[in-house]
Amino acid sequence: MNALNEIYEQHTRRAFLERSTLGLGAFALGSLLSAATEKRRNAVSGLVGLPHFTPKVKRVIYLFQSGGPSQMDLFDYKPHLASRYGEEVPESIYPAERKTTMTSGQKSFRCAPSILKFAQHGQAGVWVSEPQKHLAQVVDDICVIKSMYTEAINHDPAATLFQTGSVNPGRPSMGAWVSYGLGSENSNLPAFVAMTSNGRAKAGQPLYDRLWGAGFLPGRFQGVKFRGQGDPILDLYNPAGVTRAQRRRMLDSLNKLNEEQAGRFNDPAISTRIAQYELAFRMQMSVPELIDVKSEPKHMLEMYGPDAAVPGRYAYNCLLARRLAERGVRFIQLYHRGWDAHGNAPKQVGTQCDGTDQPTAALLRDLKQRGMLDDTLVIWGGEFGRTIYCQGKLTAQNYGRDHHPNCFTYWLAGGGVRKGITYGETDDYSVNVTENPVHVHDLQATIMHQLGIDHERLTYRYQGRYFRLTDVHGKVVKDILG
Amino acid sequence: MSRLPIIIAFVFVEFLPLKASPLNYARDIRPILSDSCYNCHGPDKKARKAKLRLDDRSAAMESGVFSDGEMMARLTSNDPEMRMPPPDSNRVLSDKDRSKLVQWLKTGAEWPQDDRHWAFVPPVQPKIPEPQSKWEGNGIDAFILQRLKKEQLTPSTEADKATLIRRVTFDLTGLPPTIQETRAFISDSSPEAYDKVVDRLLASARYGEHMALGWLEASRYADTDGYQNDRLRYMWVWRDWVIKALNDNMPFDRFVTEQMAGDLLPDRNFFTQVATGFNRNHRINSEGGSIPDEWIVEYVADRVETMGTMFLGLTLTCSRCHDHKYDPIAQKDFYRLFAFFNNIAEAGLGPNNGNSPPFVKVPKSWPDLSGEEVKFVAPEPVKIKVVQTSVPRPQSGAPDTVMVLHELNQPRDTYLLNRGLYDQPDKSEKLQPATPPILGTWNDNWPRNRLGLAQWLMDSKHPLTARVTVNRMWQHHFGLGLVKTSENFGVQGELPTHPELLDWLATEFIRKKWDLKAMHKLIVTSATYRQTSVMKPELLKRDPENRLLARGPRKRLTPYVIRDTALFTSGLLNGQIGGPSVKPYMPPGIWKSISNAAYKQDKGARLYRRSMYTYWRRTIPPPTMMTFNAAEREVCIVRKDLTTTPLQALVLMNNKTFVEAARFLAERALRLRITEPHKRLEWVFHTVLSRNPTQDELEVLVADLNLYLNDFTKRPDDAKKMLMVGDKKADANLSASELAAYALVISTIFNLDEAITQN
Repeated sequence: MNALNEIYEQHTRRAFLERSTLGLGAFALGSLLSAATEKRRNAVSGLVGLPHFTPKVKRVIYLFQSGGPSQMDLFDYKPHLASRYGEEVPESIYPAERKTTMTSGQKSFRCAPSILKFAQHGQAGVWVSEPQKHLAQVVDDICVIKSMYTEAINHDPAATLFQTGSVNPGRPSMGAWVSYGLGSENSNLPAFVAMTSNGRAKAGQPLYDRLWGAGFLPGRFQGVKFRGQGDPILDLYNPAGVTRAQRRRMLDSLNKLNEEQAGRFNDPAISTRIAQYELAFRMQMSVPELIDVKSEPKHMLEMYGPDAAVPGRYAYNCLLARRLAERGVRFIQLYHRGWDAHGNAPKQVGTQCDGTDQPTAALLRDLKQRGMLDDTLVIWGGEFGRTIYCQGKLTAQNYGRDHHPNCFTYWLAGGGVRKGITYGETDDYSVNVTENPVHVHDLQATIMHQLGIDHERLTYRYQGRYFRLTDVHGKVVKDILG
Repeated sequence: MSRLPIIIAFVFVEFLPLKASPLNYARDIRPILSDSCYNCHGPDKKARKAKLRLDDRSAAMESGVFSDGEMMARLTSNDPEMRMPPPDSNRVLSDKDRSKLVQWLKTGAEWPQDDRHWAFVPPVQPKIPEPQSKWEGNGIDAFILQRLKKEQLTPSTEADKATLIRRVTFDLTGLPPTIQETRAFISDSSPEAYDKVVDRLLASARYGEHMALGWLEASRYADTDGYQNDRLRYMWVWRDWVIKALNDNMPFDRFVTEQMAGDLLPDRNFFTQVATGFNRNHRINSEGGSIPDEWIVEYVADRVETMGTMFLGLTLTCSRCHDHKYDPIAQKDFYRLFAFFNNIAEAGLGPNNGNSPPFVKVPKSWPDLSGEEVKFVAPEPVKIKVVQTSVPRPQSGAPDTVMVLHELNQPRDTYLLNRGLYDQPDKSEKLQPATPPILGTWNDNWPRNRLGLAQWLMDSKHPLTARVTVNRMWQHHFGLGLVKTSENFGVQGELPTHPELLDWLATEFIRKKWDLKAMHKLIVTSATYRQTSVMKPELLKRDPENRLLARGPRKRLTPYVIRDTALFTSGLLNGQIGGPSVKPYMPPGIWKSISNAAYKQDKGARLYRRSMYTYWRRTIPPPTMMTFNAAEREVCIVRKDLTTTPLQALVLMNNKTFVEAARFLAERALRLRITEPHKRLEWVFHTVLSRNPTQDELEVLVADLNLYLNDFTKRPDDAKKMLMVGDKKADANLSASELAAYALVISTIFNLDEAITQN
């Protein structure tokens, strides 16, 4: 509506003074373009009063596993269930009303214990299934939460709930809240970056722009999508045939002409625009440097695995996540598709792990080696879990699993989170939480807490109401914090 | 640093009133009570603490907290046990507001008998203030000037003619004026010159297209279903109905009635039926495994919420789960409105591609229907088929259908849903369709269905519909509404800056028989609208958001207009009106990388249609549009904050559409009879910006042109590469280096702040 809204909003920001003296355009344009000033101007600081308390971490890397990974095939080991193979899962354990309509019409709900082998790993003896060989080696660095739960049973609302705190569209994503609250640490890159990759067995469930969107927050807080195809950021590169020198020349002229306009209309919004062009110009330099993963030493690429240098792959995105973290990007959101194992679950889980296990473990190792794991929070998990009862035909070697909201597994690693522990318990069937339930909003509250944000106090007034990420819920899971 | 006080001054206030006036309950006190106290002491009885309510006059008076010192003590105490709002409540009460409350208590806590929130009192036409000067053109100006005088401000001079025709052409048609149009206006010195321009624009078919856009965004119109796989649907026939209705200047009450209840009208026909697609534009879930009953509730709730935002300016959503925290809308009120929309013969799950019933077949001759085709058609009933193991899906409507409303013979029962959840109905009371009591009485002549609901909305005594609508028109032209929170006229919304003007416009709208074009004309012909938008330094301090309107509007163009303008000025624009949505350029893999659908780009002339026809996939909307702050179309949105980001710069500099447009404007320039480079650039400049460049500006551009010409002459291959951007081939008879050089200069012009701004 009015670019002045932005000026308004900026007044609550710590960087306001710096930017406004420049932002008033007409007054200070002469000094505007010195490199040092440029840098200060675009590193957007957070809201006044934030962080609310001393943060434990500077940044978050969220490895979202889209489709709903199967908790009982990965972490939630139920050894005694083998003897119940093929038995009906009692309705007293699994209530009918939250079965999805993909299976609620089945005549029988036979128990399908995992056929994957489990072993205890690390000093803490955390149970991990066979396909996660690499994760097993770093399991002492992670905190496994077996007692996650949600209400949503379909992908779209469930993923939207995890990313925005509501099953309905229109709310800001977690990364948008964080960049709104804490601002950016970097003057050449956005504060919030999103990347996606496809599953190995199947591409997987679709994703939606709203998952990294700004919702009702101003649009500039939305996650900037880094892409595996074409320009790494949309329209980043100059058109074919146009050189960087020509672009510089064009920007100089543009600035001159825009300044004249600013002088005529006295509108501070024009100066904001000039600054954004300069930032775009710097991004044209900084992003290609950032994505040049081939500059990494060979052993590093090997650690992340064969896909490490293939744009758009999960391994590449993990490596990029570390490079973004190094450069001060605050919220790095990955999405990996392909966990939706309705049929052929054991094989699909194995194939998914083939593409993700090594890079995930490599990322933890890499961060640790650089001393960055202490101030980075790494999160792994999807939108829900899967049913213990078989979807479709049950055989000794095969089973399918439907969506399951009542319990599933997440793990966290890094700054301030206890290492090598397993938190929460589920019943004998991995159907319900029996101990220490952790709701989606609790996880969100905890992530915000580690960033120094009181999730109840970071609010935004929209439609006359004060909204927050966790709606009216959410408790920080203090038990898992060191 | 020495500038600090100035900055603080203009930033911390909306605008600086000249002098403080005595405290007024409705203006000064209720907003504070609402914002800081209602959460626990407001309309929601379940959330109420200490049995105290401060939203109700008699209850508040009876409690005695104003007179017995309790409230004063709570406000002034430093004891955390005592102090209100409690420090741990996350309710903030600023020192300024706290002292206002204290002051109000000290001066006797005056709370008028009639304390209805202003927006719930039907507007009465106020008298236009006596003309004060020759400046005032129409009624609008009298109200604006009255306020400016009070603030000891004066209006700005009229914008120059070039700026004015550019402003009004953008506002009414979404495109810039041509050079000929601008010149004709400048040379027409007759007093009616401007009126003639306005009439011409209102009669242009471009008017209906441009005005439809805001309606489409608010109506969450899209080409896909919006959940998960985001399957396709066919609703463009409804979109074209909107364009036509606006171009025909259908009275707004009829426009709304047909959309709300075109299937129930006594004179219903195929067109009025198509209009009801409005209430089918909500998202529909086709995800396997979804529980149908759960989603029908979502669709019905979405209709209520959309009606709330678009016509009532109320956040009815809040009352879905509990009594409204601020406005006197009970949870039951929500479900009584819900009951109006709960009788549609629809399915809970979508068909997983195609239209979901009820839908009707659109004759091939659309929109030129003949005889029988104009007649109302009963849609075929929902036929559920269980696919896969147990997913219950309805039949799917083909591309030649459009979704409509159709009533069930046997209405569904409506109950209050606890916490808004489909499986928690309060079966103790069946709810009948009814409107919230606070919003006026129901006329028993109205049927208790959607038709009656539309009659209630468009009743001349309705407190909100006309106000909310003229406010959005004002927002369209001035960037901000008279009520800035155009989506919320409730207690938590902003108060109008010019309450009398708002009421005058609302009542004029009704008096003029809901004539939209007449209202737009009234606004754009006002002296207020015609002022220059240059910000005097004094105004920048006093009123940076221009709420007092001592100058004309200056606003960034919408994403649709930005793209259309590039296409228009380059000569690429394909002006066809209506028809199925088109798929212009899209960077590679935008859909494929995160969904299971591939984008199949169109070819040829379909690449250059107006942006309103661009295929809208809700979960992955067109990125260029989103970069410039388009609404997502997932839910009803009537106001978007415009922000400035580096991604916008990247789009305008590098995006294929804009580079190709620069190439073709360059071709136009090189085909002119004039050959001097500076004259060509002057023409280009005028084509894009509707004015002549200054000498300085022209020098900058000419110098760039020479430089680029030199570059491209040395590197002819680079010139050729640049001319390959975009599908349309460059004219081989023109010099590649010259063309590329001009294109790069034109790209500079496209990137100017002025090119994407209405001054």
